[in-house]
Amino acid sequence: MTIRLKINSEYLEYHGDPRVSLLEVLRETFRLTGSKSVCCEGFCGACTVHINGELVASCLKPVGVLEGMEITTIEGVGSIEKLNPIQQALEDHDVVQCGMCFPGMVMTFTSFLVSNPNPTRADIKAAMSGNICRCTGYERIVDALLSIQMNGEVT
Amino acid sequence: MKRHLNLNNAVMNLPRRDARDKLLGRTKYTIDAVGSGDLHAVLLRAEIPSAKIKKIDLSAARGMPGVKAVATYDDAPGLHGLGIADTPIFAKDVIRYHGEPIAAVAATTLAQAREAAKAIGVVLEEQGAVLTMSEALAGDAVLVHPDWADYGIIFEGAERQGNIAWEATVVRGDTDGAFSRSDVAIVEGCYSVGRQSHVSFEPRVALASYVDGRFHIQTSTQVPWTVRHVVARVLGVPDSHVRVTVPAVGGGFGLKFDCSLEPYAAVLARMTGRSVSISNTRQEEQMTCLCRENAEIRIRSAVTADGEIVGREATVLMDAGAYGGEQVFLSTMTAHTLGGNYKLGSIKLSSLVVYTNTPPNGAFRACNGVYNTFALEQHTDEICKIIGMDPIEFRRKNVIGKGDIGATGQIFEGDVLKPMLDTAIENYGAHENKTLPDGRLYGRSTTVGTWFIFVGPSSATINLNSDGSATLVTSGVEIGQGTMVQALPQIVAANLGIHPDDVIVKTADTDASGRDLGVGGGRTTVSVGAASEAACAEVRKKLIATASQLLQTKADNLFLSKGRVEMRGNPGSGMTIQAVIAQVEADFGPVSGSGSFTNPGILAEPGCAAGHFIDAIDMPVHAVHDCELAVDPETGHVEILSYRVVQDVGRALNPRAIHGQIQGGVVQGLGYALQEEITINENGAFDQEGFETYRIPTALDVLPIEFVLHEGAPSCGPLGVKGAGEIPILNVGAAVACAVANATGQPVHQLPLTPPRVLQVLDGKDAILNFPHISPVWKDNTIRFA
Repeated sequence: MTIRLKINSEYLEYHGDPRVSLLEVLRETFRLTGSKSVCCEGFCGACTVHINGELVASCLKPVGVLEGMEITTIEGVGSIEKLNPIQQALEDHDVVQCGMCFPGMVMTFTSFLVSNPNPTRADIKAAMSGNICRCTGYERIVDALLSIQMNGEVT
Repeated sequence: MKRHLNLNNAVMNLPRRDARDKLLGRTKYTIDAVGSGDLHAVLLRAEIPSAKIKKIDLSAARGMPGVKAVATYDDAPGLHGLGIADTPIFAKDVIRYHGEPIAAVAATTLAQAREAAKAIGVVLEEQGAVLTMSEALAGDAVLVHPDWADYGIIFEGAERQGNIAWEATVVRGDTDGAFSRSDVAIVEGCYSVGRQSHVSFEPRVALASYVDGRFHIQTSTQVPWTVRHVVARVLGVPDSHVRVTVPAVGGGFGLKFDCSLEPYAAVLARMTGRSVSISNTRQEEQMTCLCRENAEIRIRSAVTADGEIVGREATVLMDAGAYGGEQVFLSTMTAHTLGGNYKLGSIKLSSLVVYTNTPPNGAFRACNGVYNTFALEQHTDEICKIIGMDPIEFRRKNVIGKGDIGATGQIFEGDVLKPMLDTAIENYGAHENKTLPDGRLYGRSTTVGTWFIFVGPSSATINLNSDGSATLVTSGVEIGQGTMVQALPQIVAANLGIHPDDVIVKTADTDASGRDLGVGGGRTTVSVGAASEAACAEVRKKLIATASQLLQTKADNLFLSKGRVEMRGNPGSGMTIQAVIAQVEADFGPVSGSGSFTNPGILAEPGCAAGHFIDAIDMPVHAVHDCELAVDPETGHVEILSYRVVQDVGRALNPRAIHGQIQGGVVQGLGYALQEEITINENGAFDQEGFETYRIPTALDVLPIEFVLHEGAPSCGPLGVKGAGEIPILNVGAAVACAVANATGQPVHQLPLTPPRVLQVLDGKDAILNFPHISPVWKDNTIRFA
């Protein structure tokens, strides 16, 4: 089966089993390995992507239902020259450790801060409750996000 | 001689150089290279805890589509281990745990490899299993290793017998005399803890190829040199035939302090001549996690009315699972964790590593220390209650200080714990009874802990480049802790008078660097850092000697700063480091230096420790943790209200990075103390197969950890540093347990304190824990003294 997808502004075609998860297609077919395959059950958030602007755990989404959809992965957010404000805040506050959860964290907050440009500490913690991190203990990530002065520009 | 560097130049909040790529999803961990090679491999694992293997039929699997090789015990028959060579990589005639590998299949696709693994015919004869330490120690217990006596001994000196894989003992002074004194209170307790799973986000994974007669293994490990050695040993080739390289590692926490999937990839690469990748699924990763071991502890102390501990006896049972693994070494640590913190008139300790038919355990951040600190600190509070002494006062009176002797007779340098306790009380206030308006029970604790930096051999080479930058070559690995991207560049830069951004740090490659013990025990900053300093000294000497001629001044008059060689008292009069490098290169060739480091060998009292890998701790490191919490008497739910730390760091090179370690380490400890639980079912398997049932803390479970860094304690580390990443987890189980005990008025004897267990505590049902399989008569729990 052929599925046409728009991934990070590029039109791509997947040929194969439509039951395979989007995560597997991203990582193995297109070698977009930024989305991390950690729990594969939708609990950890490390594979979070945007599908038509919505936050989705890509491990739970069969690629066959995504015909024609627009997908943004971590590879489509920020660049080496210019991080997005969330990535920049996380770099500036030196909160990254092993780094495996951060692609998912960035995807979650890139979406979250658009709808909640002035979140409280509690709002941020609630928003990240679906993104598990084993290294950092979270609070310094919250500090970093609270430092962002939103100027209507997240992505 | 004047120092050539200003130590303060090393102290800075240097940001991580790897953060940007990690935030962009660009970092290539080993798991991201899976599938880029020729073949995929999977393991066929046992689904039964104990059985005889009657037959393995590979013929059907070998004929399946895409299958290139199937390996079993015969293809990699060597045994490995830390103290005893008891561990095969494939089960031979016997299955000893649920999840044990029986065969490995390499095929063109992962799906083909999985199908073929299913087609392997294994005929098993189920045998009786021992799933708990109590079962394993029973008189008529099935032996997990019936030929235990025939195994090769790698480290001499320990007693072993049947299901006791290893025994470490300490006997110092006359505890019998102490316990028979008429002026002492005797306080006794039993403690029990379950396993903790690391849940590193990158699973264990390896890629292997066979190139020019040697193996090249890329892997996610903390110990490249252990992997090199174990792969060579089990495959029966010289160590020099194995090259190990390690890119960024997606979390370790001790899980990757042992060889794991590398030998399977290697043997299949040799059999097929193709490159092979293998990784654990999340379920495999969890179900065969080399967890922090479950342990059972009996401790008793003889204490005078004025709070002097005249005698202490304790026995610790550590569950190894089916093979000795890291626990064999970790039995050594009981002397310094359960036997640590306090001045003791006399002591007897035994740590027994027990074989069971369960998945092998391993190393986990502050291994052994976490639960022994829980037992010791809760026992200490019970002592205080019985003799009627304030717990802070008792600790101030008894903590180890300058000139005091430790359990094995080593003499401690410097007063560290007592001033740290004073700092905690000064900063966090004296304890007072509080009532919470909502009816929940308030409790607070202040606990102490002693851990050590596991030093040992490291080596480093520095190549100074013509542009004034330096390339540092070591076997250090970046697992997220920051050493390779912060501490080491800072140390090298300060030593060479350059900016840390101009220090290139090579990722680990056993073909490029000298031997190293690996990343663990808080040792990398100290040991690799010290080796790097030694390499810098050689480089600096060459630069200064040449600069001295160029500038016509004495070497003593020169120092390195801001990319220049400068003359003292005459700023700006020197020359650029590039000019000096060019001259050295013209005269002698390119500038390089090498350095090495090993443990300084602290003395202990001869003869008091047996079965120990080290008799003394080279670099003690201490922590004081203060916890306030609320217990809901209706639900048993515990809410942490504040968590505050005083940590001994020697010198804080990068305070912001240490903050990250404290926040993350304490939260991992809160998971251990309150919610992370593994139970083992009758099939010898964990009930918790993944994230849904093994609950690690989320953002909603945590709070900001406050801290004070205690600097200035004695340290043999470079610039006076100590490792800061290991110890933040040390006291957390202790601090939470003691605070819950204070809140409820009931002693706490088990972790984790899940709501049902807290309700048991509240009902007084946890008050007496008595292990029938650990005798109150200490010597009966030993092989050596029974």
